[in-house]
Amino acid sequence: MKILERPLLKNKTNATGILLFIVLGVLPFAAAFIYALLYSFGLVGVISSGFTTEFWVSVIKTGSFFKSLGYSAAIAGIAVFLSVVIALWLTLKFKSALENKFILMMVYMPLAIPGLATAFFIIQLLAKGGFLSRISYASRLINESNEFPDLVNDNLALGIILAFLTMIIPFFMLLFLNVYKNERIEDLRILAYSLGATSRQVRNKVVLPILLKKTRVLIALYFIFLLGSYEVPLILGQESPQMISVLVIQELKQYDLDKIPEGYVVAVMYTIVVAIAAVFLFLPRKREQYV
Amino acid sequence: MTKLIQYLTLLFLALLSASCGSDTKRTTLDLENTDWETLVNSTSGKTVNFMMWQGSPVINEYINNYVVPTVKERYGINLQISGGQGPEIVQLVIGEKQAGIAQGQVDMVWINGETFFQLRKLDGLWGPFVDKLPNSKYINFEDPFISVDFQQPVNYMESPWSISQFALFTDTLQVANPPKNLEELERFVKENPGTFTISNDFTGMTLLKSFMAELGGSPKSLDGKFDQEKYDRLSAKLWDFINRNKKYFWKSGETFPKEQTKMKQLFASGELKIAYGYGEGGIEENVRSGLFPNTVKGYAWDNGTIKNSNYLGILQNAPQKAAAMQVINFLISPEAQLKKASPESMNANMVLDIDRLPEAYQKLYAKTKTRKYGPSMDDLKEHVIQEPAPEYMIKLYEDFRTAVIEK
Repeated sequence: MKILERPLLKNKTNATGILLFIVLGVLPFAAAFIYALLYSFGLVGVISSGFTTEFWVSVIKTGSFFKSLGYSAAIAGIAVFLSVVIALWLTLKFKSALENKFILMMVYMPLAIPGLATAFFIIQLLAKGGFLSRISYASRLINESNEFPDLVNDNLALGIILAFLTMIIPFFMLLFLNVYKNERIEDLRILAYSLGATSRQVRNKVVLPILLKKTRVLIALYFIFLLGSYEVPLILGQESPQMISVLVIQELKQYDLDKIPEGYVVAVMYTIVVAIAAVFLFLPRKREQYV
Repeated sequence: MTKLIQYLTLLFLALLSASCGSDTKRTTLDLENTDWETLVNSTSGKTVNFMMWQGSPVINEYINNYVVPTVKERYGINLQISGGQGPEIVQLVIGEKQAGIAQGQVDMVWINGETFFQLRKLDGLWGPFVDKLPNSKYINFEDPFISVDFQQPVNYMESPWSISQFALFTDTLQVANPPKNLEELERFVKENPGTFTISNDFTGMTLLKSFMAELGGSPKSLDGKFDQEKYDRLSAKLWDFINRNKKYFWKSGETFPKEQTKMKQLFASGELKIAYGYGEGGIEENVRSGLFPNTVKGYAWDNGTIKNSNYLGILQNAPQKAAAMQVINFLISPEAQLKKASPESMNANMVLDIDRLPEAYQKLYAKTKTRKYGPSMDDLKEHVIQEPAPEYMIKLYEDFRTAVIEK
């Protein structure tokens, strides 16, 4: 009897879990997506006047979505790439120092600062009227504030990338430190050395492949997270092109009420792109190493 | 498992249909048969939610430390403030209408003509109610700057709260002769590159409307109903002016500040040499708080700048309409308006006609301290433009993005 009850109980628990996940996670999202889809085709909305593809045509024609998506992807890609490289270097270079609780706490600290505050710090520090500009003026490096280089609301999105770096380098450092310990990379390193590998071989063939393969999903997820970030590009970005979330909100809040569905078009297109990326990301791999 | 899928499908469809509902139930207050006394006697203990722009410390101070405690003490009304302006209010109304919410989150809103236009389009405002307010007798509805909002008759659907004029300002220590027309502005930006910009918001678009009126040849060139042909002709000239000069703007015209608060910060930090705003420039509070040096002065634009009123409205689905009326009646009382007019408070012009006030208030008004730094509306009266139709603003927003920012 007991043998029969256990799988039944387990199945019930599983079914409840799945049901809860669907009700709380999938259903609201699916309803919101379909609502946005209907809105984008003029089928719902206070001033909608029936099915139309004009909003889709308009968004595709102006190309602002694709420009924004490319711009967002470039910024997120550069920020993630630089963060991973810097975090890897810092972790491997200072891993024994990072054992110290105080230093570890200092690494944790930036994670507690919200993106909005980071963006304001960057403005205070790097704007033409900011702290560094004033120091440069006081020390006669520049003659007026306009000579200070453009580091915020700038063409190259330097301010945004810098804010992202300060936010995610600590995260990746802690991640790499944990993987380093959990995967016993130190032992594997010693083993490789004892088998005659050079320092370069140990780094390139043992340490980096393990660290990167174990964290690749999180790195990719962080890329998606940065792709859709809002507060930092809102404060530090320029008016055109804009990162995708800023564009969506701008379209949704525009004064011309007849064009609000264009905001939903952008939101739907962005959701589809991210969903496709996520499917590729979580597709079962043929071969999983180091498991 | 099949049943589970069936239940989930039903739940999903229910959610979807609930979210798409657009039938708005309305509660109407029978004002015709209710006198003011009866109406306000029912408001004690009620909570009124007021959505307003909270971007100015002096306005917040006036509301939180004067209006909120006074309406609580006198009428027993709990006035709760929430942050939000034009687009947020419109989004709220759209969302609640779509969801068919009969009792909304917000009772009263602080709006201008553009939002008034949108809310009327959405049938989101309740009224007419202003003529029922006892203190409305102090307002001169013959004044077109009060009774016409962005070329739309107000028709007692919103109560005027403040009246002000747009003005430019500069630090006279740095710029002795600031530009007062487009020709001078062109010369100024070439001689002082990077020190002028246009904020991509209501304030910036208002400046563009003044520029457009100048390009039209007179302060009255945008008066009347929206004229597409006129807009196309004048906006083409405007974009040409901006595009040929934007390389001399802040950040070489490659980007523009998102809003006026950012522009004021840039002015305060010395990046910009000229800025502008409503409230005759809105510099008094900034000089008094030390953000701007006391050498900053506001000035008039030769062809004029926009003068308009801002208003208080009650939403169609406001749960506490009577209490909101009571609060608005207090806000347009001589006492509350006098307090608001003080340069040490909000420094806002009275929307009331001074000649209609009781003598005691007229004497008090005469004693009100005058501004030290900003010009008064009287100083600017020769340079005034009436707000053009809302379509001008809506089109300017869109075209400024496509014809200037994205170029």
